[in-house]
Amino acid sequence: MGYGYSLDSHFRKDIEMYGIADLDNCYVSCERVFRPDLKGVPVVVLSNNDGCVVARSNEAKAMGIKEGTPYFQLEQQFPGHKIAVFSSNYELYGELTGRVVSIIRQETPAYFRYSIDECFMYLDGIELDHLQKWGENLHKRVKREVGMPISIGLAPTKTLAKIASKLAKKYEVYKHCCMIDNDYKREKALEWCPIEDVWGIGRRYAAKLQSLGVKTALDFAKHHKDWVRLTFNNINIVRTWQELNGEDAVPNEELAKKKSICTSRSFNGMIPDIEGLRTHVSNYAARCAEKLRQQNTVASIVGVFLNTNAFREDLAQYWNFQERPLITPSSSTITIIQTANDVLQSIYRPGHQYKKAGVIVMGIGPDSPIQQDLFDINAEQFQKMRRLDEVVDRINRMHGSETIVLGSQQYTKKDGKGKADVFANAIKHDFKSKNPTTRWADIIKLH
Amino acid sequence: MRNFVPNFRNVYEIMGNIKIIRGVFDTKLELEHAGIAAGFPSPADDYRHETLDFNRDYIRHPEASFYGDVEGDSMRDAGLLDGDRVIIDRAVEPHHGSIVVAWWDGGFTMKFLDLTHRKDGYIELRPANPDYPVFKVDDPNNFEIWGTVIHLIRTFEKI
Repeated sequence: MGYGYSLDSHFRKDIEMYGIADLDNCYVSCERVFRPDLKGVPVVVLSNNDGCVVARSNEAKAMGIKEGTPYFQLEQQFPGHKIAVFSSNYELYGELTGRVVSIIRQETPAYFRYSIDECFMYLDGIELDHLQKWGENLHKRVKREVGMPISIGLAPTKTLAKIASKLAKKYEVYKHCCMIDNDYKREKALEWCPIEDVWGIGRRYAAKLQSLGVKTALDFAKHHKDWVRLTFNNINIVRTWQELNGEDAVPNEELAKKKSICTSRSFNGMIPDIEGLRTHVSNYAARCAEKLRQQNTVASIVGVFLNTNAFREDLAQYWNFQERPLITPSSSTITIIQTANDVLQSIYRPGHQYKKAGVIVMGIGPDSPIQQDLFDINAEQFQKMRRLDEVVDRINRMHGSETIVLGSQQYTKKDGKGKADVFANAIKHDFKSKNPTTRWADIIKLH
Repeated sequence: MRNFVPNFRNVYEIMGNIKIIRGVFDTKLELEHAGIAAGFPSPADDYRHETLDFNRDYIRHPEASFYGDVEGDSMRDAGLLDGDRVIIDRAVEPHHGSIVVAWWDGGFTMKFLDLTHRKDGYIELRPANPDYPVFKVDDPNNFEIWGTVIHLIRTFEKI
C-alpha cells in the first residue's frame, strides 16, 4: 500500500470516474474497415512521402517490424513476408475517427478528445455497478457501427485509466474494457506497468527513475510523496504520483495543451445566428494558426464545437463537434479559418441560443518543406477566395478529387522538375487507399 | 426572443470580451455577413417548422452509414440496377431477407441474406436474377456481413 491514499475509501457511489478510449492501431484499423481481407495479416502504414513505418498491426509488431523502419528496408529485413503497405491517408483517418468520437459523445456525459486516437471521458452520472458493462457495450457499438476496435480503461484518475486501457488492449479477458476500482486491482495494474509506459513520465524522467531502482509504476507509487518532491522538484511528476495512488490530480485543462491546440470561449451572452458565431470561430481559428506557427508546426485536422447553455434548461439544447482533415497539413491562418468556417456551417443549426464555441487543431507535426506561402489576411481577398473555393470544392466533390486546382495549389513534382498537376502527385504516396467516406467517386462498388 | 436578430451594436458588445486578432479582417467579415440587421417581424414566424432534411430524417445512424454504387445486374429483379447508389447502415442488424453488403471472395457484394440453413452450418447470399449463382457460405474466413442496405438512390436528371 502506498502512502496517503486508499482507493477503497475513494470508492463511494459518488466518486468521479474517468475513462479513456484508445483506438487500437488507429491508422491500420481505419485501413481495415474497407479491407476486411486484411484481418489477421501484417499491415503497416507509412509516413508522409512513404518514408518510414508510422503504424503497425499487431501481426506486424509480432514480426518485429519497428516503428520508424524506413520503407525501403522492409523488404531487406523481412524477405519473403507478405506485408500489406499503405501510404498515410489522413482524410480517411480523420473522417473515421470522427465517427468514433461522435459515438463517444452520445454515450458519455462529457469527453475530451486528446489526440487522433485517444479520447478522455468523464463518467459522472453512470453508476459504478454498470460501468464495466457500459464500457463493453461502447466497444461493441464502435466495432459494429464504424468497424474499428477500441480499448477502454476506467479508473478514478486519468493516469490510472490510461494504464487500464493498456491492459484492456493487451488481454482479451477484459473484453476491451478494464476497470480499476479497488486497491487490489490498482496494485496489480501498477505492478504490471513499466515505469516508462506511465502517462506523463517522459523518457528523461523514466531513465532517472530506473537509475534509482524504480522499474514499475508500483515501485514509484510506493515511494513517499516527499521523496518524489525532493528528487524531482516538478509538479507534474508529483501529480503523476498522486494519480497512481488514486488521487485525481491532473487538471482537465492540462489535457488540451498536449497533443492538440484548442481555442475556445464562452460568450458574453448568447448568440443565435451563424454570422455572429462565424466571427468568433474565425478569431479562434486564427489564434490556433498563430500558435501552430509559433512552435513551427502544422496541423492536419481542424475541428469546431458548438454548445448551447446547459444551465438554461428552459431552452432547447444542442451540442455538436465535427472535424475536417486538411489536404495539406498547414499552419496558414487563411486555411485554418476557412476550414473552421466550413465545419461551423455544417454543425450550425438555427433556432438555438449558443453559449460557447471552440476550434481545435489536431494531427500536429513539424512544418514540412511542402508548406505553401503564408500570406497575411486581407478580408476582401479572403471573401473572394472563399467564393472561388466553394465552386471548386463543389466541382471536385461531384467529379472526383482535384478536377480543378488553383494556381497556388500547384506543387513541384516529386522529381523536383517542373510543376506537378495536382497535390496528389507532389508528395509520394504510392500505396494510398481510397476515400470512400469523403469522395463520391471512391465509394465502395457492389457486385 | 426566439428570433433574436443581431444588429451592429449588440454584435459589437458580444465581441467585447474577445481578443480580436486582426481588427481589419474582423470588421469586414461583419459587414459582409451582418446585412440582416433591420428585420420586420414576419407573420409566418409563429408557424416556422424546420425544413425537411434527408440527412436528418433518412440517415438515422450517421456514424454507421456508408454509401455504395451498384455494379452489374445481379439484383435486377429486386429493382436494384447498375449505376444505382445505395445507403448502407451498419447499425441495422440484418435479418433473413435483408439486402446486405458482404465481403466475399475479395470484394464487396450486395445480395439477399438467406438464413434458412443457418442451423445446418451455412448461410446463403441470393441474387435477384436467375442468371447469377447463389453463394453458399460455410467458412467464416474471408467472409463478413459488412452492413445492411437501407435506401436506394436513383438519379434521373443530371445534377
